[in-house]
Amino acid sequence: MPGEDVRVSVTRSDPDAPAEFTVPRIRPMMVLDALLAIQRTHDPAIGFRFSCRVGMCGTCTVRVDGRSVLACQTEIDEDTEHIRVDPLAGLPVLRDLVVDTAPFWRAWAAVTPYLVPGEDQEVGMDAEPAVIPPDSAERETIDPSLDCIGCAACFSSCGIASARRDFLGPAALNRAMVLVADSRDAAGAHRMDVVGAGSGVDRCHYIYGCTAACPKGLDPARAIRRLRRGRFGGKD
Amino acid sequence: MVQVQVERFDFDVVVIGAGGAGLRAAIEARQQGKRTAIVSKSLFGKAHTVMAEGGCAASMGNVNAKDNWEVHFRDTMRGGKFLNNWRMAELHAKEAPERVWELETYGALFDRTKDGKISQRNFGGHTYPRLAHVGDRTGLEMIRTMQQKIVSLQQEDFEEHGDYEAMLKVFPECTVTELIKDGDRIAGAFAYWRDSGKFLLFRTPAIVLATGGIGKSFKVTSNSWEYTGDGHALALRAGATLINMEFVQFHPTGMVWPPSVKGILVTEGVRGDGGVLKNSTGERFMFGYIPDVFKGQYAETEQEADGWYNDQDNHRRTPDLLPRDEVARAINSEVKEGRGSPHGGVFLDIASRLPADEIRRRLPSMYHQFKELADVDITAQPMEVGPTCHYVMGGVEVDPDTTSSTVPGLFAAGEVAGGMHGSNRLGGNSLSDLIVFGRRAGLGAATYVDSLERRPTVAESEVDAAAHRAVSPFDWPSDGQAENPYTIHAELQQSMNDLVGIIRKEDEIQQALDKLVELRERAKFVAVEGRREFNPGWHLSLDLWNMLLVSECVAKAALMRTESRGGHTRDDFPSMESRWRNKLLVCSSDERGEYAVVVEKPQEPMREDLLELFELSELEKYYTDEELAQHSGRAGQ
Repeated sequence: MPGEDVRVSVTRSDPDAPAEFTVPRIRPMMVLDALLAIQRTHDPAIGFRFSCRVGMCGTCTVRVDGRSVLACQTEIDEDTEHIRVDPLAGLPVLRDLVVDTAPFWRAWAAVTPYLVPGEDQEVGMDAEPAVIPPDSAERETIDPSLDCIGCAACFSSCGIASARRDFLGPAALNRAMVLVADSRDAAGAHRMDVVGAGSGVDRCHYIYGCTAACPKGLDPARAIRRLRRGRFGGKD
Repeated sequence: MVQVQVERFDFDVVVIGAGGAGLRAAIEARQQGKRTAIVSKSLFGKAHTVMAEGGCAASMGNVNAKDNWEVHFRDTMRGGKFLNNWRMAELHAKEAPERVWELETYGALFDRTKDGKISQRNFGGHTYPRLAHVGDRTGLEMIRTMQQKIVSLQQEDFEEHGDYEAMLKVFPECTVTELIKDGDRIAGAFAYWRDSGKFLLFRTPAIVLATGGIGKSFKVTSNSWEYTGDGHALALRAGATLINMEFVQFHPTGMVWPPSVKGILVTEGVRGDGGVLKNSTGERFMFGYIPDVFKGQYAETEQEADGWYNDQDNHRRTPDLLPRDEVARAINSEVKEGRGSPHGGVFLDIASRLPADEIRRRLPSMYHQFKELADVDITAQPMEVGPTCHYVMGGVEVDPDTTSSTVPGLFAAGEVAGGMHGSNRLGGNSLSDLIVFGRRAGLGAATYVDSLERRPTVAESEVDAAAHRAVSPFDWPSDGQAENPYTIHAELQQSMNDLVGIIRKEDEIQQALDKLVELRERAKFVAVEGRREFNPGWHLSLDLWNMLLVSECVAKAALMRTESRGGHTRDDFPSMESRWRNKLLVCSSDERGEYAVVVEKPQEPMREDLLELFELSELEKYYTDEELAQHSGRAGQ
């Protein structure tokens, strides 16, 4: 018979702050429910982030028993009596479960994450919207990789990125792949230089931590593989 | 006196809020050559806009060539029951297609029709398929696209100035607590970093409010945590006015359990595809709630209702699909009479109505939403649902063309601005509102800055006062009897939900106003422990002041408007009154934001050529005879 309480251990920045909590079990119970219960009944000052509550914004990412997950959609199973919650790996801790996501976004900005229209195309407000058949091979490559919510779960679960070993990380490389594949974009060569440089795709050891962690079901490891092959002019 | 360290910054334009409206305003201000700051309460890119699924209304006419701005304008005015600011509705309808296309030039890619054009989908209240969309994550794609645009502008600035932030700087997780004026004009804003608790002062002649809505004043809401009415309250305290605050859009079906997802929307599509509402006895109770005005239009037996799904010509539709307010009213009654579900809603059952694989095929996102967030398999179990606060039509009273408030230098765009949607917003008109008026706000602010002969200055005394007010929740009352901010917040939410919620009446609104007086008094004794580093209890204490003030505006305006129209339903005044059609309720407050005053004001009559876009017979439902005397349909009579 599982207990009516859940014990939660939270890594705190202040060694004197309470770190072990017991909260009443509700059914079902998400990790976010447990954190909110701690905040309301034990310690209003406990630091964690959340926003949309439905896995759309990517704000509440933490590590639960070592796995990088969104707190809002990670259930505490009926037979789980104790969980441990840690801040994401590879990013500086600001307080408790709150990390500085700047390194993650710096990597993202480094791959020129925006569309650069080609010079020869008619661009700008006077042009016509691109006519793009939805079933083209190009869109079939791109569309499954677009859903990134910037939660950094992949970054935290990547053994290379989280060890701060000068690696752009899975999310940034996934974004680079999307734009390299987009026929409207003209910065592909520049982007391939960036992802082919020292902190790029060659750092990936194909551990697939990123793909396993992605709460939106993206496959950044596959994107990295595509980029590697693209560098040699090959196809996936 | 305690000396407080305050970091100081100078900008031409400061945009508060980083959702769709804020990002578009900032892009515009920067493109107009203004040094621009974006101050965001949440992490950059995590705005509530990402929750918008349906799409962005723009009359491009790709799917039905008959669509144009005039049709969109008419639909918008009808949706708002003719209380809309008609100039805003006009600008919105005319400019939305160009703004959607502009997002594609930034790199967005909307879904395509089979022949490769931007696809458009049907939505309630829109005559033709009109919503441009990116799957069911249109808001996310808009935010992502504008975030990328901002990175591109910053990289351009680096090339030119050697500094990424030379022209456009983002302040994530930073909350503005006060606007500061020099005489009657905006001169700056006071803020704190959420992570370090340290203070900042922005010296700026122009501020764009793009802070979104007020849903967190209600217990059950689809809104995310940022929606505490900050922009509404900042505007009031700076001397600006709010309009239409009595109009709050509630959706009849939101999730009610578990607590972390309370209020999240359950799409109307569930009922459209066969889902039915049931109470705790298993009764399909909607048949008992068909109001007289709809008698004859809806099925009266389960058998007839069930026939409608497959044969709509020979059956009347099920009362489960009555208008939103009727469904919500029925759910309210069932719960109040003790026939609710375990967590205070009613049951929405589709499991016993359709085969499991059919449910998964038709409603994939709902299937996943309940599976992942509530551990409910909707193909096998009923959902629990109840009414949820979704959107506030009311907001800062602005000049339609420039988005300027009544305070020089203060602009507002998006949900925090009032007028565009009148008494009720059509689905899809929000994302388009953000980009149309976001751009206009950036442009309006830039033009205003150019017109200034002298930069306003910030007095040191104002900075000290703002700092002391901000740290006041750390001062414990001398008797040690402090109020917990979470307790006050919970009581406020309960009171607004129960008494100024979806169905309102005089004595209940009065009770809510009495409760607000009590809560305001108790809020003076709110105190928190700990330090200023990422302390959510402290943050909530500061947000509470905003929620209390904005809630008072909602309640007072709701009490004054003795009719039912759009998002304002009075049980004691159930019909729409044409004498209320051209009246706006205008809210203002004192400088400290300690009380709200609401007065009535006539709305500017619609421009002749716009009025002529409507048939006389339609206008007669809303307008008085005097107002219609000049219409061409009558002038000849």
